[in-house]
Parts: sequence; structure tokens; C-alpha cells
Amino acid sequence: MSIPASKVHEVREITRIERIGAHSHIRGLGLDDSLEPRNVSQGMVGQFLARRGTGVILEMIKEGKIAGRAILLAGQPGTGKTAVALALAQSLGSDTPFTLMAGSEIYSLEMSKTEALTQSIRKSIGIRIKEESEIIEGEVVEIQVDRPVAGLGAKVGKLTLKTTEMETVYDLGSKMIECLMKEKVQAGDVITIDKATGKISKLGRSFTRARDYDATGPQTRFVQCPEGELQKRKEVVHTVTLHEIDVINSRTHGFLALFSGDTGEIKSEVREQINLKVSEWREEGKAEIVPGVLFIDEVHMLDIECFSFLNRALENDMAPVVIMATNRGITRIRGTNYKSPHGIPIDLLDRMIIVPTVPYQESELKEILKIRCEEEDCEMSNDALLVLTRIALETSLRYAIQLITTSSLICRKNKNIEISVEDVKRAYTLFMDENRSSQFLKEYQDNFMFYESREQSMELA
Amino acid sequence: MSDEQWLSALQNAKKTAIIQDGKRKIHFLMEDGKEMVEEYNMDTNVLVKRAWKEKGKLGQEIGWVVEVGDPDLPKDNLDAVGIRESSSAPIVARRITKTALEWRIRNLPYPKDVYSITTENDGTIIVRTSNKKYFKKLIVPDLERAGLKPEQERISIAHQYNTLIITYKKPPKLLDMEKKVFNMLSQLKVMKEGDVQCPTS
Repeated sequence: MSIPASKVHEVREITRIERIGAHSHIRGLGLDDSLEPRNVSQGMVGQFLARRGTGVILEMIKEGKIAGRAILLAGQPGTGKTAVALALAQSLGSDTPFTLMAGSEIYSLEMSKTEALTQSIRKSIGIRIKEESEIIEGEVVEIQVDRPVAGLGAKVGKLTLKTTEMETVYDLGSKMIECLMKEKVQAGDVITIDKATGKISKLGRSFTRARDYDATGPQTRFVQCPEGELQKRKEVVHTVTLHEIDVINSRTHGFLALFSGDTGEIKSEVREQINLKVSEWREEGKAEIVPGVLFIDEVHMLDIECFSFLNRALENDMAPVVIMATNRGITRIRGTNYKSPHGIPIDLLDRMIIVPTVPYQESELKEILKIRCEEEDCEMSNDALLVLTRIALETSLRYAIQLITTSSLICRKNKNIEISVEDVKRAYTLFMDENRSSQFLKEYQDNFMFYESREQSMELA
Repeated sequence: MSDEQWLSALQNAKKTAIIQDGKRKIHFLMEDGKEMVEEYNMDTNVLVKRAWKEKGKLGQEIGWVVEVGDPDLPKDNLDAVGIRESSSAPIVARRITKTALEWRIRNLPYPKDVYSITTENDGTIIVRTSNKKYFKKLIVPDLERAGLKPEQERISIAHQYNTLIITYKKPPKLLDMEKKVFNMLSQLKVMKEGDVQCPTS
């Protein structure tokens, strides 16, 4: 039994599949320099007004002056609210903190709702700071990984690094081994390892290895073997979030708590102290504040307490830009009996700028489906795409997207390369959309369990 | 830094002294918030250990960093740190004797004629090996505090039991400063053993 198990394990390690998410085709907002949205660009299609509006917001965030603005993305399901928010995150770049949470994430037994909100707000504010960190920089002489015989348990490894002056053997932990494997580090590479974070970066290949008969690509960069000591102290600028500083200071065992994710509640005194320290650093010019973005999806899931907390939190001058998305119309505010537009109290709505998203046109749907076909690596014939667009128009875009990979699998089982209309039809009959499913339920209700027919319920009344 | 600066820094620090295991242990809380611990042998009055409590810029605890004396063994497990020097890698320990500053570099199996030790203009001493296996920049905080630069002719080396011993004969100015420091510390009121609390902030 243990042999096949270990085999599966190995196969998984070698081929790391990039998983395709619902929004992985989005690479940006697709705007030109004057913030005009291009028709089809960076994975975004249509939704011109929303994209234009978000582009303006993007500029506002980049300026970094405005704190604590709230933006509401409102629209029907499947009109690209999350897509717009993710596109914004992509265009901001990796240096601006972007926190994505769903409204229901705050309900946890481990911490209070306001604590969860505070943490995500503080996760969205970055501090750019210069810090001295210890790095190891050298040329790889040998990398040796011992797999345990049983196939289970931690791997152990040794890494020999050298500079022009010295050579040292390092012991490796299993996480570091995995990182080295992922970066495909091999003998002759010149690498740096940040000791505190364990981040590995490849600088290039050593000149002494230039004559090796390796298959070197044209991009291979050759660098000199580093000089002096292997371990150096270097000043690096990096962005940490306020939340990370909170966690480091709230626990004695420090930043490791960040990795285990077990942060618990953080005392408000700790936060106050850190705010004080950060403003001190700012005055001394040692640190810079990078206000980021907090995106709350399904914001109608928050309750009245959270909304009033947000009202207050937005007024703080360290607040991030908060973007919320909802697909609700006039509905009950959670935790009350009052109804309000989008399920959000009027006073909070008043503080927001609202960006509406509208249902997609047929031509836009077709473009989106085309992009998704590419993303999911499926070839589709023109007719099939037209049929799929029709389906998207009559049922929903999400359902049509679900049919892409399913019909491609059907097509592959029939030994075809291009998805035809037949394959889509087959997938359409195999999997029901929401409309047909409810239709079916209405027709055959009597056959299901716990069904109360109209007469029975009348009697009971 | 000149010798006066160092002396006044020690003078102004909050000091707590205790005698334990035949050693005079002194905890310093400097005016800039740094913490230092020194241990003196009661018989010879020589410093056997000096350690600093280091903190990262963001406030994370790094722990005690030993300047003089045997360094603590790494106790955190390998998976938490990810990478660390193999236990067979050379390791530097600093010692101070009555007349000299000493570095002991263990796990160096190469013969004596491989090593060359030079003083540098930036106040450090560099250990090189002709077989390109080991290289180390040694900082000399004691000389720095006395406002001195290392001099080549005061260095002598010995090699035995896989250990390279570098000895630096103390210059008179350093001896003088150490004497002043010790005089100051020996006048400290020694706390009773047991419930001693050192101020930490």
C-alpha cells in the first residue's frame, strides 16, 4: 500500500500545476494612459463606466494622500464586481498591500467581529522601511538532498556555498529544500538567501561555469562569484503591513506566529504603541506609509455593528481605501429589521462613492467566454462559442463558464481537438443550470422528501 | 567612540550586580535602551562573558548576542530557521585574558601556515586562508571603544586541536580603561542572590 502512496506524492512534487481560478485571466484594468478603457484588454471586457471609475480611484490610491475612502461596487450577480476589484489589485502592483476578504469571514469563534475587521484594515496599510538584514550570498558548489527511505517524514539536505575566499556547508530545513527545488537551484548558480525570511533569489550563473556543456538559455545571466564573507549584513527596503508589526510585537516568539496564522486577538495597547512608533519613524524620515486597499466582497453579510465600526474606522487618518462589493438590492440590514439599499445603512452609504456594474451585452459575453477558453486551455469552434454565448445570455455567465472545461473533457473523450456544438450540447444536457433545476423541482416536487403540498399546508393553517 | 564616551555610557547606565557561581554578574541598562550583561571571574577579575540583548527595528526579539565568551548553541530547530551553518562549520568564540584579547576559531583543520591574519584600516582584523576555505572579518569592539585601531605587530597565532587561536596583546590604553571600568563596577552594591530584578526599560 505504501508504495503507490509515495509514488503519487513524488509525481505531485515534480509537476506543479498552476491552478486556474475564476478570475485568473485578469491582469489589470485595461485602461490607456488617459484612463479610457480599451474594449478588450488585460482580460477585462466591457463594463466601461465601472472600469473608468475604478481607474480614477486607482490614481487616487497611487497618490496616497487620501485615507479612508469607501467605494461600493454594486451590480447584479455575474457582472464583474470581483473582476474589477481584482483588476485594481493587479494594477496596483505587489508593493501596495491589497487585502481581500469576504463579508462572512469576520464571523469566527476565535476573535470578535471588530477584531477581525481591525486586523484586515491593518493588513491593508503598509510601512516601507529600511532594515538591516542578514543575507547569505554565494555560489552553489553542491546541493545534496536525502530523501528518507520510507518516503515519509522530513527531508534533510546540505548546501555547500562558496565565495572567492571561503566555503561553508549549511544544513537545510525541509521548507528551504522545497524553495531551492522550486527555484531550480543547481551547482554553479549564484544565489542570495535572506536569513530572516528564507527568500531565495538567483542572481545568475557563475562565470567559471560558462564553459559547461549545459543547455543554457539565451537569458542566462553570468555573474562573478561573490567576494569576502558568505554572510553579510545588508540594508534592504521592504514593505511590511501594520498587522505584521502588531503580531511581531504582541508575542514573544515573534514573527513565526505570522506563518502559523495563529495570531489571536491583539491588545489595543500594543496597537497604540505601534501607531506612536510608526508616526515617530515617519517624522524622522525612516519610514513611509503605503496606504493600501481593503476589499470586502459580499459586504451585505456584515451586520449593523460592523457597519458602525467601519463608519468610525474610516475616519482614522491611517485608514486604507475600502472597496466593497454587493449584489443585493434593497434588503434587510443584517442584525436589524430595517431595510436599506444594498443592505448597508444609509449613513455609511452616504460616505461611499458607488460604482455600478451593468449586465454584459451579447458581444461582451462572447469575448469573456473566448478569454476563458484560452485561460482554461480549451480550443473551441466558432459555432460552439456562439451556442455558449446564447447559453450565457439565457442562463448565466457563470454557468456558461462552467461548461467550458466540462465540454472540453467530453470533447477529449470523443478524441476531438476542437470543442464542437455537439460537445457543448452534451454538457448542457448533463449539467443543469439554476433555471432548469428549479423548473425541475417545481414539476416533481411531490416526489421529494418533506414536501408539503398546498392542501396540507392549508389544513395546518 | 573614545574611551571617555564608553566610560560615561557605563557610568550613566542603570546597573544591577549579583554574585553567583563565583562570578560577578552585572546587568546594564544603557540610556539609549540597550541592555548588556557582563560576567567577571571573582578570582582573576577578568571578563569572561559579555552579551547584548538585540532587538530588530520592528521590535522583534532577536535574543542575546554574545560578544565575549562562548556563544550559545542554536536551540531553535532547523525547520523553523530553514538554513543554518552545519555543526562542522568553523565557529568563532571570543575570550579576554589578563593581557590579551583572544579569538578561538574551532573546526579549522587546516595546518598553521595556511592562515594569514591582517589588520585593516577600518578597525577590523581579517583571517584568510590560502586554500580559500575560510575567511572572516573580526570586529574588535574593545579597541573601538578605547578609540584605538588594531596593530599588526600585536597579533600572534597558534593552532592546535583543530582550533586557531589568535591573540592580540592589549595596548596600555585599553588596560588602563579596563581598570577604570572594573574599579567602577567593584564599587557597586551587590544584590543578594535570589529575587533580583534587573530593570529592562
